[in-house]
Amino acid sequence: MKAKEKVKKTKEVTKAHGYNGMLVVIEGTDGSGKSTQVNLLSQFIKDKSYGCTVSEWKTSRLISGVINEAKEKNMLNTTTYSLLYAADYTDRLENEIIPALKAGFVVLMDRYIYTAYVRDSVRGHDIKWVKNLYSFAPKPDLVFYLNVPTEILIKRLIAKNGVLDYFESGRDIGLSTDTYSSFEIYQKRCLEEYKKLKKEFNFIELDGTKSQEELHKEIRAKVQELLDSGFVS
Amino acid sequence: MLNFSKKHNYPGVLICVEGIDGSGKSTQIELLYSWLKSKNADVILTQWNSSELIANTTKKAKKKNLLSGRTFSLLHAVDFADRLERTIKPALKAGFIVLADRYVYTAFARDVAREVDPKWVRNLYGFAIKPDLAFYFDVSPRDSLERICSNRQPGYYEAGMDMKLSNNPYKSYVIFQNRIAEQYRNMLDEFELIKIDAKESIHKKQELIRAKVLEVLEKNKIKV
Repeated sequence: MKAKEKVKKTKEVTKAHGYNGMLVVIEGTDGSGKSTQVNLLSQFIKDKSYGCTVSEWKTSRLISGVINEAKEKNMLNTTTYSLLYAADYTDRLENEIIPALKAGFVVLMDRYIYTAYVRDSVRGHDIKWVKNLYSFAPKPDLVFYLNVPTEILIKRLIAKNGVLDYFESGRDIGLSTDTYSSFEIYQKRCLEEYKKLKKEFNFIELDGTKSQEELHKEIRAKVQELLDSGFVS
Repeated sequence: MLNFSKKHNYPGVLICVEGIDGSGKSTQIELLYSWLKSKNADVILTQWNSSELIANTTKKAKKKNLLSGRTFSLLHAVDFADRLERTIKPALKAGFIVLADRYVYTAFARDVAREVDPKWVRNLYGFAIKPDLAFYFDVSPRDSLERICSNRQPGYYEAGMDMKLSNNPYKSYVIFQNRIAEQYRNMLDEFELIKIDAKESIHKKQELIRAKVLEVLEKNKIKV
């Protein structure tokens, strides 16, 4: 009896979106290991016999192609950059995320609106404007934030891609003409913005320098706790 | 509302025309444009949903009926932001008269008619520049339907077919455009739009518009 009461309480307190499913977000800058964790977690949830679907940032059928093309042609200003990502998110929200949540899936988000909060703030937009832009977004049930210091991020990205990405280095906002220093400044500013959001949105902060297995264990423990409480209906 | 609530400080002048389809606004702004051109004024004309960045994508998505009220709204905001930064702002800085065939009020009216929150969409366009003059062409949706249907059926989004108001595109058009017109009328005071009766003759409307434009140009010390 007591256990049941507890379950009820958890539901009321945390389930802000009101759908049957569960919305789990993994956030962090480029190279923080998000995608690896999303894949591991997705496998774990499926093994537990729950429906699970993944939605990645900038993958909508409607708009992701435009963003990639515009980036290549260097056609974006900070406002069109921001609005295109919002359109991408909205299209995925309406066509992937909400239908899956309604159907009782666990929806794993590789980046969520916090990515936009961070990137758009660093690009000089008023955070109030950005928050209004995404004001219709459902509130996630769990947000994991992989915190990795800039020095390690740089090494990881160079090892992985061989180059530092133009936008991930904030070159579009003219921080420095040198890619390396631009990357440093940009990523440091992003980390500062994430830090501000951490408290406001109850991020579960994880030390992203730990091994993949260790991180996975920490993440899955939290997810399992919620699943075991009967969160998904 | 950030920028949009205050007067701009550019040497140029921004003038826009608004109204539902078939209200005669494009005819009027083109007459205005060619008149200013003939006076050797520095003038450009910019149209809604015409940016290099996104206009084609939006048109394609409209053809496939892929858009919701919100994505419709956001894609048009992308188009506007692209034209604002690359066309409108530089021209205003260079002292041009910028004529806009539809401006943010189109979004305010259409998106709200699609049940998007009015505050949300006003905030969305908070980065816009406030125009020096905004004309609203008031026409009844029935008259506008007659005009646009002389050579074609109303388009899916134009008729608001996405709103499931009626299966008949003509009926749907009238209901939906009525909603838009209602939004426009609500904005007359909010944004000091100058109402023009679309039933007046083309000549009379143009005379009225030119008089208002001359006033604003004089105030901004632009000689034509």
